[in-house]
Amino acid sequence: MIQYLPIFKKMLQKYPGRNRERQNALVTETGDSPGMAKGMITGARGDTHDGYKVRLSIKTALGKDAYQWNEDEKFLFRATIAFAMRAYTKDESYNVSSVLICNETQRVSFWIQVKRPNTAIPVQQDLLEKAIISSRNRINSAFLLSDKTLEFVGITSTLPSPIEPSYPVWLVVFGVVIGIVTLGIIAIIVSGVLAKKRKIKEIEDGDELEKEDNIVENGIYCGVLEIKEGVNNGAFAHEDDSLTKL
Amino acid sequence: FALAIKRKYHQMVAPKALQMVQESRPSWDNPMQFVLACVSYAVGLGNVWRFPYLCQMHGGGGFLIPYLIMLLVEGVPLFYMELAVGQQMRQGSIGAWTAISPYLTGVGIASVVVSLFLCVYYNVINAWAFWYLFHSFQETLPWAECPVNGNRTAFVSECEKSSPTQYFWYRETLNITSSINDTGGIQMGQALCLLLAWLVVFLCIIRGTKSTGKVVYVTSIFPYFVLIIYLIRGVTLHGAVNGLKYMFTPKLTELANPKAWVNAATQIFFSLGLGFGSLIAFASFNQPNNNFEKQAIIVSLINSGTSVFASIVTFSIYGFKATFNYEACIDRMILLLMNSFDLAEGSVTTENLSDWVTRLNATYPEQFALISPQMEFCDLESELDTAVEGTGLAFIVYSEAIKNMEVSQLWSVLYFTMLLMLGIGSMLGNVAAIITPLRDWQLLSRHLQQETLAGLVCLLCFIIGLGFTSRSGNYWFAIFNDYAVTLSLLFIVLIEILSVCYIYGLKRFEKDISVMIGHLPHWYWRVTWSIVSPLLIVGLLIFYMIDYITGGTPTYQAWDELQGRTVKKEYPPYAQAFIGILVIASMICVPLVALVTFFKRKSRRPKEGTISTIT
Repeated sequence: MIQYLPIFKKMLQKYPGRNRERQNALVTETGDSPGMAKGMITGARGDTHDGYKVRLSIKTALGKDAYQWNEDEKFLFRATIAFAMRAYTKDESYNVSSVLICNETQRVSFWIQVKRPNTAIPVQQDLLEKAIISSRNRINSAFLLSDKTLEFVGITSTLPSPIEPSYPVWLVVFGVVIGIVTLGIIAIIVSGVLAKKRKIKEIEDGDELEKEDNIVENGIYCGVLEIKEGVNNGAFAHEDDSLTKL
Repeated sequence: FALAIKRKYHQMVAPKALQMVQESRPSWDNPMQFVLACVSYAVGLGNVWRFPYLCQMHGGGGFLIPYLIMLLVEGVPLFYMELAVGQQMRQGSIGAWTAISPYLTGVGIASVVVSLFLCVYYNVINAWAFWYLFHSFQETLPWAECPVNGNRTAFVSECEKSSPTQYFWYRETLNITSSINDTGGIQMGQALCLLLAWLVVFLCIIRGTKSTGKVVYVTSIFPYFVLIIYLIRGVTLHGAVNGLKYMFTPKLTELANPKAWVNAATQIFFSLGLGFGSLIAFASFNQPNNNFEKQAIIVSLINSGTSVFASIVTFSIYGFKATFNYEACIDRMILLLMNSFDLAEGSVTTENLSDWVTRLNATYPEQFALISPQMEFCDLESELDTAVEGTGLAFIVYSEAIKNMEVSQLWSVLYFTMLLMLGIGSMLGNVAAIITPLRDWQLLSRHLQQETLAGLVCLLCFIIGLGFTSRSGNYWFAIFNDYAVTLSLLFIVLIEILSVCYIYGLKRFEKDISVMIGHLPHWYWRVTWSIVSPLLIVGLLIFYMIDYITGGTPTYQAWDELQGRTVKKEYPPYAQAFIGILVIASMICVPLVALVTFFKRKSRRPKEGTISTIT
């Protein structure tokens, strides 16, 4: 789909500026491609004036809270453009009357043209563009819209640069995980070595201790015998030595 | 005096006792560990990314018919046989096949070689999963948006032409070159993740069954948790129903296509992990009276059940993604028409879009012709038809679906952890297939401890695997993935089943089994082992050989960064030679070692003859 764009651009270059003042007020170029010419208005007399096509998508942006596009809104728009010119050129003579709106459509799109104050000479294209760019935010917020829903066809908005953290986050997580794994490996190896040493020691000690706990003589453990120095055998021991008294 | 004798006895016996304790074969703590180890090994990435693709390619639900038939006729019998061999011989693959017949040592060696190939490239997938997992811990997922170019006027063109997820995969993860000839340098990020992947595998196998037995509890059960969560999330996604409908409406006409049956047989074969020697290795640690017949059936059924379960999840995700793309396409077209013809907002909707298109084409043909290059035909079916498999499915399609879900970081972390568990579970079996026979080899085990041997194998595989982290690494990965194990395994398993049935003897085998599990195997197993499975495998082999021969020069998909999509390219001659070497390297072990053994025996016999004449 996007592969078609270069072909489309080539075709558009064949038809640079179209006659905009058609009876049914339908504009033919989409104006979506940034490389598109800024658009020249061909007046009835064939003069060319500088201006920009504006396109609003109010319903897309606001849904149920969409306001109607009427004369008051148009007035506000002209005022904001005048404000933009004033703010940029620091020339206080710009007024609402300097801004012209024409060729409105149902889309809600129209052409604007700014004339120098108190003259009929249109402002230069570049100046207008720079003025709009510098006050773009203010213009957008006056209408509760954004760069995408209030388009000035031909003026590309700078894309917001993505928030890039100062350090690569993934390395932190990587470091934690690899640290845990390495510690685990070292722990297992060390515990294995220690266990082996202990086992060898046990078997060596086992020769000496003889595992006496397990050697039994007459039902009595040898270790117990040695400690107690013998066990009283009731069959032979007399409680009272009454037989002989010598 | 008795004590003195006892002391002497202990002095003599103790070192030997220690040695005997060391030499007695380790075993699983309980049969459950063995079952979970087999499940963990068999249930791997193929269940998630290969089976849904096959389902889609071969008529949705109808594919289950050849799949189940092949499972019963080929999968379970061969699985049963491998477990029987392992448990009977109580040795890794080399020892086990040598015990069956000295001429068959080559089969064991071939298994080890194939497992080595698999280990080397399979862990790279785990490295990628780690990479994606670590990159999920960000505010916005890095594959959600395109990066902007230098002067912030537009997105980077490569990303613009393809998509953010493809850009992240091909450029930021792989940094892929445009063909297999340009090697490029090693990608540090990938190399680090590969190192981590091998360290994790080493940690899990360092103590043999003691450590593996505990790890498999996690690696086998965790993926099911994630799959269930994803199932619940997946079927509640907007548009998931479209995908599920697509999957479950069986197109039974596909069953007439022989490719469906071949793919079903192949999928069962590789999904169960037959022929690598891992099953023999795992079974060799069993108690001699372990009832592996029941376990074989259980594991095979769990494996296939997981495939079907995973494809339900995958298809609901497909449906979501397809619907999302379809609706985005419709929105684009509506905007295009509204902007070009200055129609009021809301006048063009999804329902009347086609009416508007025909009306506008009729009334303003000239203008319509101008915008017709930008017009797209938005079709839900064609979105669903884009069947993807393999790394493309796992890392591009799924991540694209995830970025559109709410709380995408959580879903991303869950998903890639699941991929990791599946991958590491399979790696445990793969590495066990190499280490167990090497451990049983007296020469090595006398000089090397178990931990050292495991460490050396992991290190070797890591160093070879670094080749896959270079910029053209993904092309070499594709070579390994497509050619290293497919043909060789079929050959190895064919030799295995034929040798068990006809060289070792079916009757003898059955008697061994009856000693172990207490009853003779059913005649069904006898029939499948001796006739049906070998015939099936021979059929598959013939099919693949014909496919390779008539397929012409093998090609691969290279990423073209200017166009932002993949293009088909032919493999250069040295790559084709490498493919040939890969395929032959393992298969040739069988006849080669058989010949060597034959000559060894022959050279021994004349010596015995001379001794007898002297005495």
